[in-house]
Amino acid sequence: MKVTRRDLFVWGAGAAAGLVFTPVPWKLLDDVSIWSQNWPWIPQPPRGPIDFKQSFCALCPQGCGLKVKIAAGWPVGIAGVSTNPITRGVLCPLAFGAHQLNWHPRRVRGVQHKGVPSSWQDAGAAFAKACSEGPVVVIDGQPGRSASTILASFAEKHDGSYHVEMNSETRALVPYESWTGVSAFALGYDLENARTIVSFGAPLLDGWGIPGRFTRLWAERAAGMSDPQLRLIQIEDSLSRTASRAWKWINIRPGSESVLAAGLARALIEEKLVPAHGPMPDITVSDAAAQAGTTEAAIRDLVHTIAERPPVLAIANNHNPEIAALNVVLGAVGAHGGVVRRSKRTGKYIPAEAQIPNARAVLIDSSVLWDFAPESDAEIFRFAAWDGGSQKSDWLLPAPGFLEEVTDVPTAPTSAVETYAIAPQLSKPQFEVQSAAQFLVTIDPTLPTIENVIHSRCGYLLHQRRGTVYGPEVTAVAKFDSAQKLEAELSKASIWIGDPPSPGGLRCELKQWPTEIVSESPQNWASIWNAPVLPPLVTKLYRESTLREAPDRRTA
Amino acid sequence: MSARYGMVIDLDRCTGCGACMMACASENNVPSLPQASACTGLTPMLVRKVSNGLQGSERHEAFIPILCMHCEQDTPCVHVCPQQAVEVDKATGIVMQMPQRCLGCRYCMTACPYHARYFNWWDPAWPKGMEKSLNPGVAPRMRGVVEKCNLCHARLHAAKEKAAAAGKREIDPADYIPACVEACATGAIQFGNLADPKDPIAQESQSPDAFRLLAKLGTQPKIYYKSKEAWVRALAEPNSGPNVEAKHV
Repeated sequence: MKVTRRDLFVWGAGAAAGLVFTPVPWKLLDDVSIWSQNWPWIPQPPRGPIDFKQSFCALCPQGCGLKVKIAAGWPVGIAGVSTNPITRGVLCPLAFGAHQLNWHPRRVRGVQHKGVPSSWQDAGAAFAKACSEGPVVVIDGQPGRSASTILASFAEKHDGSYHVEMNSETRALVPYESWTGVSAFALGYDLENARTIVSFGAPLLDGWGIPGRFTRLWAERAAGMSDPQLRLIQIEDSLSRTASRAWKWINIRPGSESVLAAGLARALIEEKLVPAHGPMPDITVSDAAAQAGTTEAAIRDLVHTIAERPPVLAIANNHNPEIAALNVVLGAVGAHGGVVRRSKRTGKYIPAEAQIPNARAVLIDSSVLWDFAPESDAEIFRFAAWDGGSQKSDWLLPAPGFLEEVTDVPTAPTSAVETYAIAPQLSKPQFEVQSAAQFLVTIDPTLPTIENVIHSRCGYLLHQRRGTVYGPEVTAVAKFDSAQKLEAELSKASIWIGDPPSPGGLRCELKQWPTEIVSESPQNWASIWNAPVLPPLVTKLYRESTLREAPDRRTA
Repeated sequence: MSARYGMVIDLDRCTGCGACMMACASENNVPSLPQASACTGLTPMLVRKVSNGLQGSERHEAFIPILCMHCEQDTPCVHVCPQQAVEVDKATGIVMQMPQRCLGCRYCMTACPYHARYFNWWDPAWPKGMEKSLNPGVAPRMRGVVEKCNLCHARLHAAKEKAAAAGKREIDPADYIPACVEACATGAIQFGNLADPKDPIAQESQSPDAFRLLAKLGTQPKIYYKSKEAWVRALAEPNSGPNVEAKHV
């Protein structure tokens, strides 16, 4: 058959007409559009099997339950665990970006000695030498962990001392130590049974305590109600987030919290709203009112409101003996809905600074806030997963990052009940990292490992036969027949919760009214966060919106 | 039966913590770029602080999460898009944004009465290695396209896949919860099907305290708000409320 010029025209026209009626050009256009969205420089998420696992957040002492979305072995999303009865599926805003932290540009990627790259061997040799030459001070920021046991054991065995750098929430409980003889680490707030809470600047709805505890309680019993079951009275010098949502906001002069607490205590006694026992504050109600920037009538009116709906609990933002003494006057210490004893834990608060000047070396655990900077000539060994900058330390040692190690999670500072959980490792470390406890075990192999301490703690819990384990199922500890089974259950991110505190288990004697005047300093919204850096996504909260002010000294 | 997904946001419960913004950005791989500002950043979920305009102890503040309102009627962004990159999904009522079709004219941003659309000024970027922390369910969008809330459509896809694998045609409502709803610490944001009279949010949306922003425009937003405070409800219609000065702080 001969192909003519006419045949070519017919074929070409037919092909062109046919093409229009096929999906090919439209598919090509679609593919080009999609391709144009996927330039090689556009970052691509990891591809691989997707799984959901549970763990706990160890970036602050609250230990919130996490549901972690994992793709190709990497954490790619964080959510709360709704079955956790303590955190109730709630997380702080920072936690939603925590999985970004392991890739943060300020991640400590290797051992540094005075800013110069070094090795773990050199760091170990330097620390062993320091231990042989003089006392060593070990500083911990999250006491009660298995790692804390190892840190304390090391200090004890090597004639050193172990100290805890407390957070503000635990410091607020320190005044009760001398009046009750009970350690601040064994005390907590029975928020669930309180009906009136008087907060002196404590950001109860903005990062104070376990995020899911008070916020949920407030949402259920107070939010939007004109006569709420739970009255939140916020005494603060500015309209903070908590103040704006509180049932009442009492606007006072900055730094006058102590004076106002004393004035309230005196007015309560004078108005016979509380039994008159124990010491009376020296300050008169009118003087307190003048110093706090309010009126005597307003204070007297406020004490009637406070006493109207007991139990009443006063909460300080930090160490403040006068606010603690107000709780004594209100009868809130050792009572339902007050300050309660949750455990038999011992140990008193001794500031670390007192020991540091005589030390040969100071070892700082990664749980200690970056802002803690000892003034000393001692050799500083600081463990950190992220470098906060502007801090003197002779040795900067890379610690495991977010979810990069197995750790246990002890009771949160403000909790009314004892809790215990094990946070499984869900992310593989990208660098050669060691925790301070692991480092000390390499220096002194006679120390127990973290795993061994966790085994023995599970054995202790089983031996006590009290409390309940909350996981996919709720099981009383007494029903476990071995410590291994209890540990296996806890390793699946279940949580052990002790028995609720019994009122009357705390005797409190206030011999004289405290005279220490403390000025409450407002906490930065990100200050409870252990890491010196924030997840990059946090810029959404302060730079890409006007929702919050930029956090101090924290780099996202 | 087609669904009408929507939200009821109880403003009396919102503490303005920002967890919803963080969870939204993490779920949808929204980048956080050093050059982005309050004017140029991407915040598909944006919590705004408002006040009654008074000072001292008389001052009251509240927080309003603003996201795409998923307008049901005469959806302004759909009408103006020259590329058909925006459409209302008939099966769900979700206003969908298709970045592949978007040419970046920003006409939809101008048309949106809620300022709930954002232009992607820069290519998405994360610090080295951090791309491993991205959610594989959502593709990062390139620069030059408009973004907005799509009620975590990837989660709806996952719920549909799960239902299909189980041989079901309808999804389990518990399997489809947007990230902001899941993250809300006080339960202020509730999500559900407004077309289902048995759904709690369908009932909540009819509460006397419920309102919609700029309802007079007649676009029938599927995002409802709720407050017992008169001055907060007055924010819905800025120029027609009671004698309360409501301000964006």
